[in-house]
Amino acid sequence: MTRRRLLTSLGPPIVFGLAFLGLWEAVVRGFDLKPYFLSAPSKIVEAIGDNVDNVWDATVVSGTNALVGLVIGTLLGVAVSFALMRFRVLDDLVTPLAVALNAIPIFVLVTVFNNMFAITSEVPRRLMVTIVVYFIVLVNVAKGLRQVQPTHLELLRSYAASPTAVLSKARIPNAVPYLFTALRIAAPAAVITAFVAEYFGGSQNGLGYGITSNSAGSKNAVAWAYVVGACTLGLVFFLIAVSLESYINTRRGLGPGGGTT
Amino acid sequence: MSEHRAVVVDGVSKVFNRGTPRQVEALVDIDLTVGGGEFVSLIGPSGCGKSTLLRLVANLIEPSTGEVLVAGKDAPRARLDQEYGMAFQQAGLFDWRSVARNVELPLELKGWDGSRRRRRALEMLQLVKLTDFADHKPWQLSGGMQQRVAIARALAAHPRLLLMDEPFGALDEMTREHMQAELLRICAETETSVVFVTHSIPEAVYLSDRVVVMSPRPGRITEIIDVDLGPSRTVETREDASYFKKITEVREALRAGEDDRETEAVVAEERSSR
Ligand SMILES: Nc1ncnc2c1ncn2[C@@H]1O[C@H](COP(=O)(O)OP(=O)(O)OP(=O)(O)O)[C@@H](O)[C@H]1O
Ligand SMILES: [Mg+2]
Repeated sequence: MTRRRLLTSLGPPIVFGLAFLGLWEAVVRGFDLKPYFLSAPSKIVEAIGDNVDNVWDATVVSGTNALVGLVIGTLLGVAVSFALMRFRVLDDLVTPLAVALNAIPIFVLVTVFNNMFAITSEVPRRLMVTIVVYFIVLVNVAKGLRQVQPTHLELLRSYAASPTAVLSKARIPNAVPYLFTALRIAAPAAVITAFVAEYFGGSQNGLGYGITSNSAGSKNAVAWAYVVGACTLGLVFFLIAVSLESYINTRRGLGPGGGTT
Repeated sequence: MSEHRAVVVDGVSKVFNRGTPRQVEALVDIDLTVGGGEFVSLIGPSGCGKSTLLRLVANLIEPSTGEVLVAGKDAPRARLDQEYGMAFQQAGLFDWRSVARNVELPLELKGWDGSRRRRRALEMLQLVKLTDFADHKPWQLSGGMQQRVAIARALAAHPRLLLMDEPFGALDEMTREHMQAELLRICAETETSVVFVTHSIPEAVYLSDRVVVMSPRPGRITEIIDVDLGPSRTVETREDASYFKKITEVREALRAGEDDRETEAVVAEERSSR
């Protein structure tokens, strides 16, 4: 049953993807497009084969940066959202700022960080990922901690529950789905930030650098090999986060789409 | 002796958002005493302040004027001592807790140990006929079943006073009658006093020692009707002539409250047009 469902939901996109690649190959060959203009998928596969070690190493570098930033940013975001809940004034100050920052591409700050650290340091990129993740997690978890059903708060008040009990019995459990929604958004953002940050200088070892340095002339196919690496990395982060979120939501009876908006 | 009085409401008024354009005079000059073991229903048109009165007794909100005593203590003290259990219009169950763990919540906050909590929770679930669902999650239950869990939760700590806000509104007629009978049995056994908000005249009459009839906003008590149907009510009670007589009496009191207001409105209109 579930296997058939999986097949019917995965089948069409796979067929579409393969058809798209076929068409791409046909166009490149049919019009005899030059490699510096557009590489054929077959050439890209070849390039991946030739550079598998380099692409893998670059993926590990960018992936580690993304993961480190994701973990630290999440921990920070959760910690600060508790502080916001505790101190109302802080909340009024920080939340609008965080919402605004989520809407602009703050990863350009990485150029500033690059000047602050050694040229070979991974710290600027990890710092950048951390900041991006931090604001996403902060906004969502703070919302989850605050938006508790009024009936729940009244009930707990009627049980003379202490503020700590209100936190542990109502606010924290209520915020859990919000945290996983934040992770679903933050995980791909972490990967994107990690390799886009590499465009702005710093050490020359990640996927972003691999893309920029190879995207000229006959090395175009190699650049595409790094692009494939970047896509795969992003997909892996995204799929893990989505699975976690839908697992949590199913357990809560919210449905895989989530009940948190 | 104040100990024999479960609830004393003395000269209480409640104004919401005083001094703002959204000011609402919800309750005016409420005096009400509920004796130990007594069952009192509040009935009145929608918006007349029944829930507000109940929330004042529960110390979820503060009165604008007047005084509320519960079990002889002032309302905040009584709440801190968990002198009452409460069930709301909405079941208000916690999605992430199993049915049994929802019922255990008040006991958890009282510091009971796990096995004792579990035992009491199962006892309570038996009472509302949901033993089979102890380990289900609330969202796997129908609305009526959820409401029964909420009632089990309100009863879990065996409070001396129950505050209930239309707890049976979501139940089907048969379950509702069953729950009413069970509630009366439990309250008689445990000498629990009840303040019970309802929209249903028959329900108020069947359950109560006294029915408090309230008028539309601003809410006042227009009449308090003694319902003397004998000590134990049975299925036959619902077919008894004296039962129907009381229902009529409450209905007429309700209508009188409405009429009063209409007269007042006319008078006010005349005054302002003059
Ligand atoms: N927190 C609040 N802030 C402002 N106004 C309120 C608040 N709670 C209740 N009111 C107002 O007080 C009045 C009485 O409300 P209440 O909920 O007590 O009515 P009710 O008798 O329980 O009605 P129903 O039968 O529909 O439940 C209403 O006019 C309502 O708008
Ligand atoms: Mg109400």
